[in-house]
Amino acid sequence: MKTATRNGFQTGITFGVIVVTMFLIGFTVIGAALVAKIFGTSVSSGSIPPLPFFVIFISLVGLWNGATAARRPLTGADEFKPALVAGLLAGLVTGIFSAVVALVFGMLAANKIDVRTYLVAISPESIKMYLFGQDAVTGSLLSLVLLTVSSVAGSALAVTLRTNAKVRGFFQKAAESYTNAIHSERAIKLRNNPSARYAFLALVAAALIILPRTWGGYWNYVLGTVGIYIILGLGLNIITGWAGQLVIGYVAFFAVGAYTFALLTAPAPHHLMWNFWLALILGVLAAGISGLLIGLPILNLRGDYLAIVTLGAAEIVRILLKSDLMTPYTAGPRGIRDIGGPTLFGRSFTSDVDFMYLIIIAVLVVSFLAYRLQNSRTGKAWVAVNQDETVARATGINAYTSKLLALALSAAIAGLAGALFASRNQFTGPDDHQLMVAINVICLVIVGGIGNIPGVFLGAFALKGLPEVLREIENYRMLVFGILLIVMMRLRPEGFLPAKRPALEKNTPPSGQEA
Amino acid sequence: MENKASSHLLKYGRLVRPVAGTLIGLFLVWRLFTVLVIERNFSADTWVRFGLSGLILGGMYALIAIGYTLVYGIMFMINFAHGEVMMLGAFGGYFTFELLRYIPAATPENPDLNFLNAHPIISVILAFAVGIFVSATVGFFLEKIAYRPLRKAPRLILLITAIGASFFLQNLSMLAFGPQRKNIINPDILDRGTGWTLTISGNPVLISYTGVFSLVLSALLMIGLYILVMRTKLGRAMRAVAQDKNTAYLMGVDVDDVISKTFIISGVLAGAAGVMWDIHMGLVNHYVGFLPGIKAFTAAVMGGIGNIPGAMLGGMFLGILESLGPAALGIDFQLKDVIAFSILVLVLIVRPSGILGEKLSEEKL
Repeated sequence: MKTATRNGFQTGITFGVIVVTMFLIGFTVIGAALVAKIFGTSVSSGSIPPLPFFVIFISLVGLWNGATAARRPLTGADEFKPALVAGLLAGLVTGIFSAVVALVFGMLAANKIDVRTYLVAISPESIKMYLFGQDAVTGSLLSLVLLTVSSVAGSALAVTLRTNAKVRGFFQKAAESYTNAIHSERAIKLRNNPSARYAFLALVAAALIILPRTWGGYWNYVLGTVGIYIILGLGLNIITGWAGQLVIGYVAFFAVGAYTFALLTAPAPHHLMWNFWLALILGVLAAGISGLLIGLPILNLRGDYLAIVTLGAAEIVRILLKSDLMTPYTAGPRGIRDIGGPTLFGRSFTSDVDFMYLIIIAVLVVSFLAYRLQNSRTGKAWVAVNQDETVARATGINAYTSKLLALALSAAIAGLAGALFASRNQFTGPDDHQLMVAINVICLVIVGGIGNIPGVFLGAFALKGLPEVLREIENYRMLVFGILLIVMMRLRPEGFLPAKRPALEKNTPPSGQEA
Repeated sequence: MENKASSHLLKYGRLVRPVAGTLIGLFLVWRLFTVLVIERNFSADTWVRFGLSGLILGGMYALIAIGYTLVYGIMFMINFAHGEVMMLGAFGGYFTFELLRYIPAATPENPDLNFLNAHPIISVILAFAVGIFVSATVGFFLEKIAYRPLRKAPRLILLITAIGASFFLQNLSMLAFGPQRKNIINPDILDRGTGWTLTISGNPVLISYTGVFSLVLSALLMIGLYILVMRTKLGRAMRAVAQDKNTAYLMGVDVDDVISKTFIISGVLAGAAGVMWDIHMGLVNHYVGFLPGIKAFTAAVMGGIGNIPGAMLGGMFLGILESLGPAALGIDFQLKDVIAFSILVLVLIVRPSGILGEKLSEEKL
């Protein structure tokens, strides 16, 4: 019983802080709007969703609260009662947090004090919704009751699901049948059958050829962005995933590629108007060389210096691009317009469908390259350096040059992505090369599965594709990324699709970082 | 891998350091010569003004840099979220000032008087108390929630967690407090336009009260920290943990507790720097900690990471270089931030162990 009390109390405080924070940053409104979206009611941004959806949202939070409180190991033969106590306590604590906040802001709103001067997200309407349309005292009491009841229900539900033999049996059976289906002889045979493999590849190829023609401009744009981020992710994966060196300012190489390409093909400011393919190759080369130059003095130092130096480089590049000093050469903060598109045999193809094909081809080429690299001697050398540099050097690997090669390759791939990005948008400016781009790429590599090529695909679709679908959470994206990084590192540092190659020395810090 | 091409590359790689160092050095000498001897665009008073603002900025950088160095020395991680800890402290100070401004303290002579101006010293102390409390709390929970579960994890994972924490805190305060910059209204006696005036080469140079106040306070805090680390039991434990965690543990030092307290101490210093930023710079928003944080890390590397006097020196040095740099090299003031980052790259090229040398334990290297 003592454990139950403690668990309930702890979970309650955690969820109390979460609920209050959600209210302070205006996420209660967004959460209710998301619930409304699930139920098929669209809520335009900026307006308040109907009250029932908010009730559902808060109840869901309460259910989760109760389930968390009950989930932890509880003492005693009968789990049901301690779990309910934990749930009740967690609900009460969270409810008190919520009620106090509701009361305070309800009082302020009743006295016509606008708190938006200091807390921009809390509009009078959102306070009213938080109080369920009632006055401050009733509203906060309702909040307390709702959170407590839903938390108790959540703990009851969790315990039932966990202890009920029928439910458990159902899940076990489902899991078993899934494993059986995957490992059955027929499935293995089908997977090892070359013609089945070719048929699958043909199907994917057909989809890649047909889909860009059918799904229209918007999806071509969104998925083109996803494709560019896949390229970036594959590039970063080389240096961070395989060679184990974190590069925060990856966007610097992206910018070098984009600007080299743009300056060579745009009519202003230099009027060079070079051929697309030549400029593309030069953009890739320029980015690769910049990676080499940054790596030369840094890569024989301790690992985290590279992270911070590339971060500095990214900021330097962005500030320089914006500055008056470089305006005659790089068009300054206005950016470069009318960047050239691809041509082939005299025919220019710049429609969104054509560009989608180009991006698909680039993704395929880069992933082919990545696959070949992964299984090559070089790729294995990177992983060896990552896992234990001293041992790697003892086996005859030159850690410095192999890291340098990884960085140069990564940078070159970022340059390719940059050039494609600039060419597709026919525009590039300093604001396209914010640090956010690099952080997005780090997130997608880590979330997908660090060091794993399919993981990069998954990460890019999840992190660049999903926010397009869930437009409501646009403003909260970076916040969610931050939470995602922390939670992923704690619970599943190897990502959703972990790399197959086992980490030999899991949980031991890589030693011998110093040259 | 050890083929001919790579060994060539290695040879050139060793050459990079002296060659790049010499080239950059020659360039700097040439620029300085042009600006100081040939062009002479600035008179002495301008230089004094730049130098003063550099000193004040340097004091703040030093306080933040100490936080980086302490944590790096003990855990061997770049606490990327440290700038955000400072930013939240700055917000703590800002909200204290705003709250005190709304409390009336009318006297018969002055019916509009508020608490902030009626008791300016108490107000400033309160602002520092709140800012320091906020920062120390954030630092404590940051370590407890985000970093402690990863004690044995590879360093890359810790660094990524720190970046995540940084983005979380930054965006949380943006969403809650809004993205626009907020002006901080000081008590009247600490108004940013007031101060002592010096006359140098015929022109007045203002030494503002806020600047002197910040500089003195940061010096006091640094002395306090030095005494804490060198003279107290906790300080000895911190040094022991930084030197060798396992041995310290065997000698009966509670390593987790020491790490926790290290985060609180660095939070206190960052919070103080944040409120100083409020009082002297007068602007705060969610982005206010990011650049100073990175620059302070630069300062810590410059002084020699893990080395506390190094961080102080590096901070001061960076502040002065940053404010004198654009004028001395005759480049745009927009490029102020470029100077700080270039210094980082330069230090790593020329002397990666920093001015005073790094102090890190062998096992972690």
